[in-house]
Amino acid sequence: MATAVKIENLSKYYRLGVINNGVLWQDMQSYFARLFNVEDPNKEIGREEVYDKEGFWALSGIDLEIEQGDRVAIMGRNGAGKSTLLRILSRITVPTKGCFHVKGRIASLLEVGTGFHRELTGRENIFMNGAILGMKRREVARKLDEIIAFSEIDHHHIDTPVKRYSSGMYVRLGFAIAAHLESEILIADEVLAVGDIAFRQKAIGKMNELSKEYGRTVLFVSHMPGIVYQLCNKGIVLEHGKVTVEMCPVEEAGTKYLELIGTVE
Amino acid sequence: MVIMEPEQWDLTVSSRHKLLDFKLRELIRYRDLILMFFWRDFVTVYKQTVLGPLWYIISPLCSTLVYAFAFGNIAGIGTDGIPSLLFYYGGTMLWTYFSTCLNSASGIFLANADTFGKVYFPRLAVPIATTFSSLFKMLIQFAMLMVFLVYFIATGSPVRPSASALLFPLMLLWLGALGTGVGMIFSALTTKYRDLSHVLALGLQLAMYITPVVYPLSQVPENFRIYFYFNPVSAPMELFRIWFYGVGTVPNEMIMISLVSTAVIVFVGLILFYQTERTFMDVI
Ligand SMILES: Nc1ncnc2c1ncn2[C@@H]1O[C@H](COP(=O)(O)OP(=O)(O)OP(=O)(O)O)[C@@H](O)[C@H]1O
Ligand SMILES: [Mg+2]
Repeated sequence: MATAVKIENLSKYYRLGVINNGVLWQDMQSYFARLFNVEDPNKEIGREEVYDKEGFWALSGIDLEIEQGDRVAIMGRNGAGKSTLLRILSRITVPTKGCFHVKGRIASLLEVGTGFHRELTGRENIFMNGAILGMKRREVARKLDEIIAFSEIDHHHIDTPVKRYSSGMYVRLGFAIAAHLESEILIADEVLAVGDIAFRQKAIGKMNELSKEYGRTVLFVSHMPGIVYQLCNKGIVLEHGKVTVEMCPVEEAGTKYLELIGTVE
Repeated sequence: MVIMEPEQWDLTVSSRHKLLDFKLRELIRYRDLILMFFWRDFVTVYKQTVLGPLWYIISPLCSTLVYAFAFGNIAGIGTDGIPSLLFYYGGTMLWTYFSTCLNSASGIFLANADTFGKVYFPRLAVPIATTFSSLFKMLIQFAMLMVFLVYFIATGSPVRPSASALLFPLMLLWLGALGTGVGMIFSALTTKYRDLSHVLALGLQLAMYITPVVYPLSQVPENFRIYFYFNPVSAPMELFRIWFYGVGTVPNEMIMISLVSTAVIVFVGLILFYQTERTFMDVI
């Protein structure tokens, strides 16, 4: 089997604390305060190191190879670095160290909401998102009916600006687009949490179908074990930015993850 | 026997990067997206208005009326003999084009934070699209100006367009690049210092008065003229009147300085934009 994603020694450093005040005037005040050794007027009370440039490694030295057609669950506690990893793979932000390689196009659904434009209608947003994925207008037009049907958004709402959608409708449309547009890799970060049960089941069915019939690779994050077991065939566990359970069948990863939580607590 | 093919990746992202990466091939692949952004700019602005795109003509006409009244009739500033309508309309049109390019580029990161945080596409697609939509608006206004021009020539006004006017597309590129370049510099800086957006709004408003928009360069006293060399917008403004109306003065040095500073500004703008694009989502 071919490799779809290869991650080498990937690390991400985030700076913590106040990097700057974000207001030019206050930065200048603070600068002069330091220059003349007087009390900084912008120093927060009860907080010693406002200018602490220290940060932390949200991800450190991740090495991972994901086979084409696999549905990988990324498990880990809050703040383990799951979203950070998916954000880097989706090219929202850059790695501090290391690199990754991808074969094929990536469609991502990061947390709630996609890159919809609020003033445009659902239909217009479908074209927009298609273009964002690098698709030609014609290709999108061919899939349009299928996408609308899958999202179950009725014909009144599809021509309404998406700012008037409910949060579930938002996610349904986002998911329908990502699932139907031609990409080889699908990234989903806690997206099914707001969809209703019926849609959730349908979405899982769709992802399974895409993966089994079209060989699409799926990277999936969810805190709902039911969904994870239903969808994924493999899993890894992240802890404090490191992979602590290497790629293995999802049940095994799940069990180890539960053990880890048990022993950590 | 299994033959291992060297792995062919479609995409490689590394922490190491160049100072500037145009990603030209990617931009071309995303041309449909640029078109969509262009069209989005157009649609969203006029979605809930009655007159729609007619505003493109109405607003410069209103400005023209007020400027002609305030600067022409009351302050009595000359127009080098150019009919007021042509003089003020032309100036407003070009200045608006420049300042729209600048304004829409300057807000890119903050205005699109939502989208940038969710999906990837070459971010440069946004300033390219906003520049094209400013250009489009300007061309509508320009068509109107041509109607006025024909009318004034037919009624015997002393305005004479020259053959150089055919270089107008180059001037649009020049002004657009200048505006978008300055805008990109501000787009990077405002992500760090939000108060710069207020500075910019005020600065742009005042900058019009230290640029030969509502007065010709010939009306500027000799000892002040040196300052206009440092304003890269002066040269195209004055050049426009020479090309289309056949009246005006612009020293060659002023044109050279403007062209060189435009190139420098665009280059710096692109570098800052590229650096900001990489880590902007971490600090917002
Ligand atoms: N832009 C940022 N600046 C500084 N720290 C950040 C930034 N984004 C994330 N972090 C930190 O990085 C760590 C990992 O965050 P991440 O969002 O990847 O966690 P997660 O595994 O997705 O958690 P959850 O299950 O809650 O979604 C957290 O400690 C978070 O505070
Ligand atoms: Mg997360």
